[in-house]
Amino acid sequence: MTTQKNATDRIALLQGTLDLLILKTLLLGPCHGQGVARSIQRQSEEVFFVDHGSLYLALQRLEDKKWISARWGLSENNRKARFYSLTAKGREQLAEKTSEWQRLTRAMELILGSNTGATAEEV
Amino acid sequence: MFKRSRKAADFAEEIKAHLELEVDEWKREGLSEEEARRRARVEFGNIHAAQERFYLRNRFVWLDDRVRDIKFALRQLSKAPGFTVAAVLTLALGIGANTAIFSLVNTLLLKPLPVPDPKQITTLALRENKGTVQVGISWNEYKQIREESGRSFSDVFATAINIDGLAVPGQQPDRIMTMYVSGNLFDGLGLKPAAGRLFLRSEAEVPGHDPVIVLGYDYWKQKFHSDPNVVGRPVTLDGHPVTIVGVAPKGFRGMLGYLTMSAYLPLSELPLAGTPVDAMNDWKNRTLVVNARLRPGVGLKQANATLNMAAQELTRLHPDIEKKLTLEAYPEAQLRINPGDPNAVFVFVGLFMSLAVMVLLLACVNVANLVLVRATAREREMSVRTALGASRSRLIAQMITESVTLALIGGAMGVVLGVGATSALGHIDLHADLPLSFSFGFDWRIFFYSFAIALVAGIVVSIAPALHTARANVSTVLHQGGRGAIAGRHWLRDGLVALQIAGSLVLLVVAALFVRSLSAIEAMDFGFKPDHVTNFTLDAHEIGMADTAVRDLAANITARLQQLAGVEHVSHASTVPFSYVGNAGDSLIIDGVPSPPNPTDTGAGYNVVSPEYFRVMGIDLIAGRAFTDADNEHGKDVAVVSESAARKFWPHQDPVGRVFRMAGEKDRKLEVVGIARDVEFQLIQGGKSQPFFYIPYAQHAKGNTMMVFQIRSDTDLPALAPMVEKAIHTLAPQLPVFQVQTMRQALYTMNGLLLFQIGASLAAIMGGLGLTLAVIGLYGVVSYAVGRRVHEIGLRMALGASRASVFRMIYRQSVMIVAAGLAAGLAMALLVARAVGSMVVVSVWDPATYLFVATILALAALASCYLPARRAMAVEPMVALRED
Repeated sequence: MTTQKNATDRIALLQGTLDLLILKTLLLGPCHGQGVARSIQRQSEEVFFVDHGSLYLALQRLEDKKWISARWGLSENNRKARFYSLTAKGREQLAEKTSEWQRLTRAMELILGSNTGATAEEV
Repeated sequence: MFKRSRKAADFAEEIKAHLELEVDEWKREGLSEEEARRRARVEFGNIHAAQERFYLRNRFVWLDDRVRDIKFALRQLSKAPGFTVAAVLTLALGIGANTAIFSLVNTLLLKPLPVPDPKQITTLALRENKGTVQVGISWNEYKQIREESGRSFSDVFATAINIDGLAVPGQQPDRIMTMYVSGNLFDGLGLKPAAGRLFLRSEAEVPGHDPVIVLGYDYWKQKFHSDPNVVGRPVTLDGHPVTIVGVAPKGFRGMLGYLTMSAYLPLSELPLAGTPVDAMNDWKNRTLVVNARLRPGVGLKQANATLNMAAQELTRLHPDIEKKLTLEAYPEAQLRINPGDPNAVFVFVGLFMSLAVMVLLLACVNVANLVLVRATAREREMSVRTALGASRSRLIAQMITESVTLALIGGAMGVVLGVGATSALGHIDLHADLPLSFSFGFDWRIFFYSFAIALVAGIVVSIAPALHTARANVSTVLHQGGRGAIAGRHWLRDGLVALQIAGSLVLLVVAALFVRSLSAIEAMDFGFKPDHVTNFTLDAHEIGMADTAVRDLAANITARLQQLAGVEHVSHASTVPFSYVGNAGDSLIIDGVPSPPNPTDTGAGYNVVSPEYFRVMGIDLIAGRAFTDADNEHGKDVAVVSESAARKFWPHQDPVGRVFRMAGEKDRKLEVVGIARDVEFQLIQGGKSQPFFYIPYAQHAKGNTMMVFQIRSDTDLPALAPMVEKAIHTLAPQLPVFQVQTMRQALYTMNGLLLFQIGASLAAIMGGLGLTLAVIGLYGVVSYAVGRRVHEIGLRMALGASRASVFRMIYRQSVMIVAAGLAAGLAMALLVARAVGSMVVVSVWDPATYLFVATILALAALASCYLPARRAMAVEPMVALRED
């Protein structure tokens, strides 16, 4: 069933994040735009709301950067759709962005996790 | 773009497919067809907006990003007002200096005449015997050339500049700059009158005809309040009646562009200005400037071929006068400045442009350092943004945008500063005995230049911080907590400051050379004694007096002034050293010596003087006698020659008692009665070694109505001037008295010391700016370094370092930077000095100059580190360590 959460609980996606999520989704195999949107929404337990207009522009942007490639094909229910797949360059980028993201979240955790900050360990 | 662009239709198709898939999905989840479609659309949001964004993507994303960057930059800058103000002001100084220098160059060398198709306007120059390029052409030659060159030129114009007294009947005359022009000038240039009419092609052909006058626009506005009814009004020019027939168009200032003419007369009226008709008809009286308009499609090459034929025709017709004559056309702008040596102008202009660029460079380095400091402080912000997906190129683009925005704001202010400075320069006192009015107007060229250098400055400023950002590593920075800075990178900032010190040393060396050059020249022996002498100029011609009347008036004035209290001697002369006007010259015919083929070989300058002249000016006679009252029209014609003239024309002989004639007055024999010491007459062109002679006014009163009176007196100028004017006006109430000044002041003309003075002031200003920027730069870097090292200093102190050793540590670092900068600067300065060599009169290799300047700079630099070093010394270890 559609378990749409209250709009205030959703988080608007930052540009860089959306790119990362698209790449991650495509890692599983070629997919069309609608599928990517559904997949992101589903996988984030409906926390992320994907604005479809932005999604298609993001797809286009990634295609322009040659991180993904696209071709028209048929969906499982025989609808015409534009399928996107990850390129070798896209794979590289995904790896790099993922590790960056992990470093960032770790750093954020370090800061947010320590309550006062006065004793924050310094590396 | 090389990329195959995806069509908007294809994108629309994709969205349609998306909606179909969504409908299927919703239907599968149990919704009705209608509800599913509604749902799909709602979920998608604004389809048209998405399509529009796709459509705009390739076109405007770049621009869109820039606009966003600029907005962001402005927001960032307004958050750091201290930084912004400092950076903007620094850049404004640099850009202002450049704008000011460039607008001079623009007016003198670049700006076209305000006429249709200005590129077609050329200046004709002639050369005799393959000598130097000269622009003077005689009236007869002009008419001949005009006749012969119609194939290449649609019009050939002749003009002459003069100073006349223009009076509304009953009033004292205004002394104005006038241009005598050929009748075809206005029509051929394509100008339309602002009122009345301009000259007709038929005017200006017969000497003495057409007593009409056209007013210059600015003069019309200022004197006649733009009254259109002036047309048809009678006025007097030098006492002769002429009729105003019209007003020249706004913006047209005459053929020189930067020098504003107040009125125009037909060339045929030159006799009004005192040129005798027979002098006008003299083939060798080369006093007209000839310009010509190329026919459409005709190039200089073809024009020069035509002129060459005209020159051959001239030689054929007058073989005795036109010897090996060649004629050439130059683009008008190229010969705007005295063409004696066009290269000198380029060298001078080039030097000051480079100095200005150097100041800008120093300003850029300063701002770059500020930006760099900010960039370090913002490392964390940048890293977070990188982590969130902003690409590095985007961040760098943003930093560049920020710097360029900064530079453009600075540029706007700089233009205001620069234009203000030039307009001040336009009103500079040229110590001219001329009613000069200069115009260094602002135009698109200046705007474009300033805009371009601001843009370049912005990019230069952002290079260092951009490199810095490009190398920043996200995780290192994020792991560093609030500190950010990575110690190894100080070399960049230190290097920039060393570069600044080097640059400012170069500027200071140039400034020192120019200033020393000026004081050396001021202290020079000119061959006369300029102190305790007061000058003023009279031209009785302007109130319509001529020959004998003028002579009597001059005698009366001399006698009257002689009686004033405190006056030792009074004299008058047709000119004084370094003056702009009255500089006469002629070639000499020395009896018994065959005249050389080139007439310039016997040329000499001369001055028409009253007997007391030598005593007033303090010019010593080394042989013979000076003039006396007996040397008048009844006596034998006499002359006094300079040492150089004596040596040149009568080598190994005693010239006293010898006879020579002036080429312009072949029937008069002048006997040399004395030899005077050489006098510096025209500092720039030739100087003391040029042959010179003096003739008595009483024997040459005809035509010499303009005279500079000189009084030797211990009374100073403010007390003397009113007495003098009162005395003159009791004798001639209407006679204007000009240019009342001391002889010392009169030295500062373009022919005398003014160029050296301007050079010294400009160089000193640039040097001062350079020094200030370097000191601020060093101060900034050292304070910043101290600020960042508080923790470390605290630690050192906690471990036992003394305060004095901390002070020394900070200074050691500064000394290294300053020393490196000085070493590099000295090397650069030696290179630059070579280029400056031709423009200064002192040795550019004098080590004292370099030592002095380097010492000043080093002291200033080290003084600027004092405060930060004191601050480092004052660090309390306990506080510093607890802060982290």
